[in-house]
Amino acid sequence: MATQTAVTQQEQTTTTGGSFTYGHALTIVSGVLMIAALYMALIWAPDAVNLTAPAERAAQRIFYFHVPAAWIGFLAFIVAAVASLLYLITRKQKWDVWALSSVELGVAFFAMVMLSGPIWAKPTWNVWWTWDPRLTISTISWLLYIGYLMLRGAVDNPDRQARFAAVYAIIAAMSVPINWIAIRWWRTIHPAVVLPGNNSGAQGGFGMSADIRTTLIFCLFAFTMFFITLMYHRIKLENLKRRVETIRQQIIYQ
Amino acid sequence: MGDLTFLAAGYAVFWIVSFVFIYTLVSRQRNLEKEVQVLEQLVQQESETE
Repeated sequence: MATQTAVTQQEQTTTTGGSFTYGHALTIVSGVLMIAALYMALIWAPDAVNLTAPAERAAQRIFYFHVPAAWIGFLAFIVAAVASLLYLITRKQKWDVWALSSVELGVAFFAMVMLSGPIWAKPTWNVWWTWDPRLTISTISWLLYIGYLMLRGAVDNPDRQARFAAVYAIIAAMSVPINWIAIRWWRTIHPAVVLPGNNSGAQGGFGMSADIRTTLIFCLFAFTMFFITLMYHRIKLENLKRRVETIRQQIIYQ
Repeated sequence: MGDLTFLAAGYAVFWIVSFVFIYTLVSRQRNLEKEVQVLEQLVQQESETE
């Protein structure tokens, strides 16, 4: 009887879609912000003045989504590390759910960075890819977190899976500051536009005018809201999945 | 390639990855809903036989 009640409650949770929820509000707000960010990046923002080739000048606008996607990737991996640490301290499932959701989102946003980077690089550097420190560290970082998801899939015991994943996420997070510093420490072709360093080898950099900075800040805000919205839905989905799994186990073993 | 080809390709990447991710979320949600329905049927069958 208890199982029946739990299943019925579960179904009500999954199928109730009529009322306006916090999730709906977040989705609408972030959708509007992303469309506004697209308008600002493609139409409102001025051309960068020191780029002469038309294709390079046009491709520079990839910057408005490339940088925020990288910021969200870093943020997601830091959130995952903090949640993992909290999981190891408290052993509450909630933090494991947060860490998993955050890594999954970080991998998706980093995929955007890894795919849009070469498209921007071709008209700017005249190559799709080069094994430069920033690009190499980004690739390693991305593969590390794909490894995190594979590790979770490889361990059956849920407690052990959560524990191993938490330790892995904390160690993998070390790639975030190294990645951030890479374009400032080493001689690299990748420009540091946001906080410029002393890198004479950088190519494709441009001056940040007030309008370019405003557009970037807006895009960073829109992407952060988009991340929060996706996190909200992903956490909800993972909680639901775990509750369904618990009920299934109860039915099997009762 | 035209001047705008790289720009269009760059932005297509963001939207394609976003929509694929959202699609996987929706798809997983639907699968869970189906699973809940199956579980509910199982529980009903069991309570009827008791």
